[in-house]
Amino acid sequence: MADHDLLKAPHGTPIADDGDEFTFCSTCAFSAACLSEGYDKSQLRDLHVLVEHVGPFREGDHIFREGDPFNAIAAVRGGTVKTYVNDASGREQVLGFFLPGEVIGLNAIASARYPCNAVALDTVVLCRFSFPMMATLASRMPGLQRHLFNLLSQDIGKASLLAGNYTADERLAAFLVLLSRRFAERGFSATRMRLTMARTDIANYLRLAPETVSRVLRRLQDEGVLKVDRRDLEILQPAVLGELAHHVLRD
Amino acid sequence: MHTTPPTVQPEPTWRFDAELLRRYDRPGPRYTSYPTAPHFAEGFGEEDFRDIARRSNDDPIPRQLSLYVHVPFCRSPCFYCGCNRVITRDESRGRTYLDRLLREIGMVAPLFDCDREVVQLHLGGGTPNFLAPRLLGELVAALGRQFSFSHALDRDFSVELDPRFVAPDDIEVLSAIGFNRTSLGVQDFDPRVQQAINRVQGVDETLAIIDACRRFGMRSVNIDLIYGLPLQTLEGFGRTLDTVIDARPDRLAIYGYAHMPRLFKAQRQIRDEDLPDPETRLALLELAVERLGDAGYEYIGMDHFALPGDELARARREGGLHRNFMGYTTHAQTDLVGLGVSAISHVGDSYVQNHRDLPAWEAAVDQGRLPLWRGLVMGTDDVLRAELIQRLMCQGEIDTRQVERAWGIDFGRYFADALAALRPLQEDGLVQCPPGRIRVTPRGRALLRIIAMCFDRYLDQRGEGVRYSRTI
Repeated sequence: MADHDLLKAPHGTPIADDGDEFTFCSTCAFSAACLSEGYDKSQLRDLHVLVEHVGPFREGDHIFREGDPFNAIAAVRGGTVKTYVNDASGREQVLGFFLPGEVIGLNAIASARYPCNAVALDTVVLCRFSFPMMATLASRMPGLQRHLFNLLSQDIGKASLLAGNYTADERLAAFLVLLSRRFAERGFSATRMRLTMARTDIANYLRLAPETVSRVLRRLQDEGVLKVDRRDLEILQPAVLGELAHHVLRD
Repeated sequence: MHTTPPTVQPEPTWRFDAELLRRYDRPGPRYTSYPTAPHFAEGFGEEDFRDIARRSNDDPIPRQLSLYVHVPFCRSPCFYCGCNRVITRDESRGRTYLDRLLREIGMVAPLFDCDREVVQLHLGGGTPNFLAPRLLGELVAALGRQFSFSHALDRDFSVELDPRFVAPDDIEVLSAIGFNRTSLGVQDFDPRVQQAINRVQGVDETLAIIDACRRFGMRSVNIDLIYGLPLQTLEGFGRTLDTVIDARPDRLAIYGYAHMPRLFKAQRQIRDEDLPDPETRLALLELAVERLGDAGYEYIGMDHFALPGDELARARREGGLHRNFMGYTTHAQTDLVGLGVSAISHVGDSYVQNHRDLPAWEAAVDQGRLPLWRGLVMGTDDVLRAELIQRLMCQGEIDTRQVERAWGIDFGRYFADALAALRPLQEDGLVQCPPGRIRVTPRGRALLRIIAMCFDRYLDQRGEGVRYSRTI
């Protein structure tokens, strides 16, 4: 399976153009920046010349690998991306999951190389933003620069969340509550979600054993807090879950 | 004046309508799987199965497991049988078979995460008790070591037994091994019928085994009967029914004999002229339904009856019935792992069947390969239709609006063909289609297969020599 390499030069039409004047690239992480600055579609041509639809990546395809030269960030348009590193003994450590509308590659901005691997967990399509061009544009469009910093700080905040000394229940609850918020922000349901990531990935991310993840979920299901059917999860009592997650999320 | 209040008759669970059954007597699958086994494709690779098993482990709460083990040997051929079996009296063949089974278990069990508990185990055949109780103990112990047996009280560990070749004391051993349910073959106690099918089995020896099952803690006993056998008469079958009902088994299965001698060699020993005519065949079924109904048995569906207190009957009333390869069960969706020659696995959205040919199964195991023969991965349409067929067979009802919401379809448009096929059944009173629902009527419950066939996409295709038994 050939990887679609973010390093490859863009081909095809560079303008990501779906939708009308008001709904433009609905899953674009930067749409908020454009709209808040009051740019209309014609003025956005400058911005959109940067954007290239990349993919589809099949499940298991790598989008970039640790150590690859950094030249682009990408917004997930569809599917789920997992980032991970391999520790000293070669074991995989999951860093995070990226849903539609979220941006991967941000943690490479400071260095010349991607510091982690990004792999598609299912069929993934991306909006690739060439970073050199983006940096130039950002100096001309203050809203864009601000938005980029916003995204960066969110990313950093997300990463430190699960480092604390919390119980398995608390970690899993926090994970689900955050997922729920992220889905809701993108216009998806806050209570019904599809867990595209394998339980081993969830477990790895939360520093738990896979059996523990299932045990906690089973208990929460027995207590009526949520319902799981294969990969579909429904939160039945968001308040209860929020209470459990409160300690971790501190909000 | 003293009046006795009218006794309330419970709603009969089977409305027998001879004319209807006669009209709908046509071949059809039993839907223990959908798509059905004839559609499995050869060349299903070992890597495919490993991948499927791995994915099934990856669900946030991976499904629990059901295990099925096939023991193909029988000491003596029953002429009606169309099952996969090997006739032999050489007990050493059981030992060699078990040795290979243990090897197969060693290859298959590690593919499934160890927190996936086995809530159901079933031994079928052939004759599972071809293997002496000690060997069965060895088998179950090996399964218990390599899989994780559930310790829940409602786990179902069942074994099919031929009462002619098992002793009451053996039942005690089987119970100690962990079995808590048994299924006994009877078919018919009429001596003339027994001669014609080559299964001479005494009433006393059978009752002794049923009694032993009760004494040694078997949670339930099932009896298999067959109507439509050669030389069967209403009087003879009636006596059999009386004898069996007197013993009060918890469950009964009444199968219609499927005479397909071109497919099943053993059946060639049955003379066509000895078979009951269609009228008698229907009358035999009607007699069974009547006697069982009078005795308080509830019709579960698809040839199965149970006492009202039995879990299956309760589950059916409460909507908690499910169906898998082993038939009706109270256990919610499990992944099924099949072991042994011809056994079928159902993991995730795929089916895989082991080699049906014993030498091929043996060769694969000897070479350290999974003995897979054929299978398929279900597409989205397959999964949807399989779910609808499940609901029809277990709850007798489809909530079409819920299906539309869950699957994002327009039911009327997507299933235009199925609904057209249902219309004559509606007119015959087998189903009702109020807005948003497809409901099986009491009359229709006897013909669940026919109703399910309306949703079978594969029936349209020219069968490549696919043969199904008649639905009555």
